[in-house]
Amino acid sequence: MRLDITLCLGLTFGLAYSQASEPIKPEQFNKLHAIIKPNPDEEKFMQIPWMIDLWEARKKAASEDRPILLWEMDGHPLGCV
Amino acid sequence: MGRELTFADAKIIEIVNKNFVPVAMDDWFQRRRQDAEGDFFRKVADQGPRKGSGGGTRQGIYAFTADGKLLQYRNSQDPEVMRAFLLSALKSWGSLSQADRNAAKVAIPELKKIDPRYVPILTKDTLIVNVHARILEKENDFFCHGTCKFPGGQRASHDHMWIRESEWQALLPKDPKVGQEIAIPENLVYRLARFHLIDNTRGEPPMWARNEVRKASLKLFVSDITKEEVRLKLTGAILLATDADEKNAKRGYDASMLGEICYEPSKRKIIKFNAIVMGEHWGEGTYTGGSRPGRAPFGIAFELADPAKPADRVPPQAIREFAGYFEASK
Repeated sequence: MRLDITLCLGLTFGLAYSQASEPIKPEQFNKLHAIIKPNPDEEKFMQIPWMIDLWEARKKAASEDRPILLWEMDGHPLGCV
Repeated sequence: MGRELTFADAKIIEIVNKNFVPVAMDDWFQRRRQDAEGDFFRKVADQGPRKGSGGGTRQGIYAFTADGKLLQYRNSQDPEVMRAFLLSALKSWGSLSQADRNAAKVAIPELKKIDPRYVPILTKDTLIVNVHARILEKENDFFCHGTCKFPGGQRASHDHMWIRESEWQALLPKDPKVGQEIAIPENLVYRLARFHLIDNTRGEPPMWARNEVRKASLKLFVSDITKEEVRLKLTGAILLATDADEKNAKRGYDASMLGEICYEPSKRKIIKFNAIVMGEHWGEGTYTGGSRPGRAPFGIAFELADPAKPADRVPPQAIREFAGYFEASK
């Protein structure tokens, strides 16, 4: 087992540790941040002005005489997945 | 992730934007809530094939009128099928009798009460941080986007971390000095580790149990001070593993963290929250099959959200249990 500090974790977060993953180099930060984030091509579905409140969508649909399109998923479609 | 591909189709975007009021919801909450909105949703869903028997899912794509008459239902990721679905729904809408069209213009009453168990409340002073995870690969001593057999699994995921006012205020020293260390609230460290260092690139992920946080050594200190802003640097190392001996852990994440938080000292307002967690992830959960074999590079990026955008106000996935989310260290 690499780490013995596990049991103490609830008490303090400042303990010494051994580290397998390499520290992130500050000069690589911006490039890495940009690579991880969604790029515009992946965000096309956000060109649709999704509302996140069904009741408010009902009001809007009634006042604009339009049907509602509901995207319903286990896990919010604009959230975790 | 697959349905993101569906709604990335240019024709579908055009049809939706021109004709519909689009709304996106989490079925886990909607099918459970016992209030007028929950009743309304179930009334709509029960007109289709997914009646949620036994409390089961009602997920899918629904077209209906404001007064709750179902026009069409489908649950497909195929853009061609969805284009046909939308056109069919519009045909149904156009075929409604005048009485039904009039009924669809009904005045919607205000929601008098909501079911607090299934409606996460975002308070005005909560800080929202967008969280994006992505599989990566090594390339020429750096990293590039990873590849994955799971449809859409190479894309960046979306989630949001909510930080209560008392917690983010605790990060901002009143009389900052360069080099000064700031204690990060324990609940915030555990919330970050357990609920936001997750592989949600292929669907609903398992969260980390408290005892699976094997290490979370985070350090926050003042790195620079000007009249306009105070800069805080965040560094750390994190080990998450399903077994105390990580070699035996079926799922794990061994990573480093680097970030910067900036705030305006006069207003005590956070103006920047940029961070990365970068390391090797391995394993998968019940609903996140199709992971890459072995340990593979996996990055998570954090940045301040814009609460004016509806998508940025979507609750964190892990908030399904409110107390567990905010009291993550217990």
